Amino acid sequence: MDRSMIWMTVAGVLNVGLVLLVAPFFQGVLRKVTARIQSRQGPPIPQPYFDLLKLLGKEDIESGESPVMQRFAVYLSLATVLTVACLLPMGYGAPMNGAGDVILLIYLLTLCGICTLLAGLAAGSTYSLVGISREMMSMITLEPLFAIAIIVGALHTHSFRLDTVLNGSVYAVAGFPFSGLIMLVVILLSFQAFVQRVPFDISEAETELMEGPLMEYSGPKLALFKYAHMAKLVIYSTLFVALFVPWGSEFVFPLGWLLFWAKVFVLVLLVTLVAATHARYRIDQAIRYFASLVAVALVALVLASYGH
Amino acid sequence: MMSPEQAVVVSILICLAGAVLTLLVSRSKTIAGWLAFFITASTAVLIFSAVAKVLITGPSPHPAAFWAMPKVGFVLRIYVDGLTAMFLLLAALIAVPAFFYSIAYMRHYEHYSVARYYPYFLLFLAAMYGLLSTTDMMWFFFIFWQLMTLPGYALIRFESRKPENVRAANKYLIMMQIACVATMVGAEVLAVTGAAVRGTVNLMYDFDTVSANLPLLLSTRPMATAFAFALFLVGFGIKMGMWPFGQIWLPDAHPAAPSPVSAMLSGVMIKTGVYGVMRYFLWLVPISAQEDYPLARWGMIIAVLGTITLFTGTMQALKQEQSKRLLAFHSIGQVGYILLGTGACMALLPSASPAVAALATIAFFGALFHVLNHGLFKGLLFLNAGSMLHATGTQDLNKMGGLMKFMPLTAITALVASFSISGVPLFNGFVSKWSIYVAAIQGGASVKYLPVCAVIAILTSALTLASFIKFFGVSFLSRTSTLVRSKAETGRLEVPWMMQLPQVLLAFFCVLLGVVPAIGFSLMQRALDASRGGLGTTLANAAPMRTGPLTGIGELNSAALFAPLALAVVLGLTFVLAYSIAKLGSAPRRAAAPWLCGYVREADCHRYLAHNFYGEIKRYFRWLGGMPRPQPGKPPAWKETT
Repeated sequence: MDRSMIWMTVAGVLNVGLVLLVAPFFQGVLRKVTARIQSRQGPPIPQPYFDLLKLLGKEDIESGESPVMQRFAVYLSLATVLTVACLLPMGYGAPMNGAGDVILLIYLLTLCGICTLLAGLAAGSTYSLVGISREMMSMITLEPLFAIAIIVGALHTHSFRLDTVLNGSVYAVAGFPFSGLIMLVVILLSFQAFVQRVPFDISEAETELMEGPLMEYSGPKLALFKYAHMAKLVIYSTLFVALFVPWGSEFVFPLGWLLFWAKVFVLVLLVTLVAATHARYRIDQAIRYFASLVAVALVALVLASYGH
Repeated sequence: MMSPEQAVVVSILICLAGAVLTLLVSRSKTIAGWLAFFITASTAVLIFSAVAKVLITGPSPHPAAFWAMPKVGFVLRIYVDGLTAMFLLLAALIAVPAFFYSIAYMRHYEHYSVARYYPYFLLFLAAMYGLLSTTDMMWFFFIFWQLMTLPGYALIRFESRKPENVRAANKYLIMMQIACVATMVGAEVLAVTGAAVRGTVNLMYDFDTVSANLPLLLSTRPMATAFAFALFLVGFGIKMGMWPFGQIWLPDAHPAAPSPVSAMLSGVMIKTGVYGVMRYFLWLVPISAQEDYPLARWGMIIAVLGTITLFTGTMQALKQEQSKRLLAFHSIGQVGYILLGTGACMALLPSASPAVAALATIAFFGALFHVLNHGLFKGLLFLNAGSMLHATGTQDLNKMGGLMKFMPLTAITALVASFSISGVPLFNGFVSKWSIYVAAIQGGASVKYLPVCAVIAILTSALTLASFIKFFGVSFLSRTSTLVRSKAETGRLEVPWMMQLPQVLLAFFCVLLGVVPAIGFSLMQRALDASRGGLGTTLANAAPMRTGPLTGIGELNSAALFAPLALAVVLGLTFVLAYSIAKLGSAPRRAAAPWLCGYVREADCHRYLAHNFYGEIKRYFRWLGGMPRPQPGKPPAWKETT
């Protein structure tokens, strides 16, 4: 085993551990801050940890007709999120830099979504299927957005490597970075949807679909889904910071690393603020909204291919 | 030891003899089936050995001539180079499982004799071997084209008691004849104008003659040459299902044919169109003529047509509710990816910079690999659809549900195929799409429209995923439908092992090429090395990829790379981690009925059907056409409730 392999393993384990550790904390902060904004007391910040532990011991009721598929989808759901964590830089280089590029990242992010869909389909309740149909429709219109943002970076740097692109590459042009700034705005405007929070939590929509794809899940399976959901917030936030807010990562180890996580934390607060003050959109409204963002993003892409 | 050319001719003859033999024994479905299978398998052995010979020791120096009758100008010239070898490999690779699957599958056609099945199927296969390897652009092209079209026509109207099948077959026949005329007129224009500027020569329709005349033609008669190439694009475009021609015949023809034939139609036959485009647009033009040949412009046309094809085909597929019709529309969509790769290759190739020319080869690899991959996963999907049809007696996805419980093996192979076509990493579809994206996006520095095409392709990939989530979800997952329940009460739904084996085999190849894509890329590099002619030489010289069974694939400068094994290991480890987290609390497990929000039991009218999926997207893209026709008979369940 040479040194790069050891580095890769250590960094990978570190990333996975960090995501697993930090995700419930962010969720706790989110819940607390939401509550304060809505003039409620709110649960204590460590509450999500307790929730997860509680769910892990609860009875696991399988109501689908294909229980094997249900289990497979649940485990794969958390597994893909954690694999994506290994592709992202979290204050230091991406662990799987030598094993994949940004196209793989784009497709793995999609795979995260597929697992929830398969799980919902395997459960087979009508409410799940309604949720899945919605989830898939928003995935269709959302997937191009982050893909375009990443491709804009790839066009600027002529590379698909994770360490090159996920380092503020969207601004890496000689003149004023038009395309990068347009994408920054576009991703900010759609970020709630990527992390599936209000106003775009249409597929789960507790009040109408009763969690949609997750409706039939309980016990450890629900815990894993919740965990994956929380981890997604961390994943997308780190991806956003790596791609759009690279400043300060060149500082020496503890400082640059702390700054990175501080930026992620600020982004989570922003998500919370938006989520707590908005109401859910209908699916057709959301699709039209995303479609107009895709149109703007395509303009940015054309600008990027002309080097702006 | 036979030369590759002899092996191809012998395979064709074996198929022709087999057609007669299977006709003689067609009283027994089983005997005819096994006989046809052994004939196909023996030709496959010959083809594989020919392909191995070409790829390992290189092609023969010259085309081989058979049955030369110089007085009437009749000669069958056959040449197997690397490009032909790759397509022949695909044809044999799909034909063997398709024929094996037929043995058991054809038993359920009680009212139709296999006398109108196996003989035609073997002729169809022979024609494909011939069409892919002849160098005659006129007479033998015509003979093999017709030998493919007419048996294809008979196979599509196999279930001739259904009027819609006959209509579909007629449409197919007319479109194929138009394509044949277009391609032959194109060849005639090149040959005649070539003869006019160079003086008459023997074999004026031979590929090498036309190729040798082309430099002079391109400089003196650019318009006539462009006209000929446009006709080639139309002719082969019709065959491969390119927009707007594909939508006319393909979605009707594929579902009408018996499922193994659909697998061959979609997996192999439409690829002969792709072969034609690659052969004529890249290999026909000698390097010396590159100055006068508007390669970049043709590349743009093909790439843009490819992008339109992939988007329209997939968007129309999303609307379908019939299993095989859905798959047929996806054939159009996937051919779009292949065209995009080919077009990107042609657009990037003229560049003076060697780095950009290397991208052209990567784009070509993407297109060629997608030809192979699409053959594998689409062939598999059609066999899956055949198994579903075999089990439930319907192609209507609205009536299916919960099949995974009854046919688990078919379900798993269908999941593999669905993941492959949707481009999920670790399955083969991802790798070919990856190469196309790498070339198209990096090529954006010199060819500005390619990144936009690539983004549309990525978006379409999500559409494909949506379509297959629906296809797989409503048929195999979801809850057992009334139809499936009633079928399950009368007998076993899972297909016999003779139908399972071909599905498992194809699924295995999908996963193998997805996890070790280096196999595919080294094959293709060898294929390019073994087909040095025309602009193919430039492609072969680029050698832009490094491949390794363990390290995966990547560009030489490592600007893009993919190591599937490392990904598989990480995914496996995190899967185990997720599993152990779930087991931490050692929670008890119990099966129960789903909660229906107060309803005691689920009625059919409460089911969420294939029809209900993606309503908003379907509504926004209604103008794109391809809305499913209302099914004859009982009105759908959602209208019965008041």
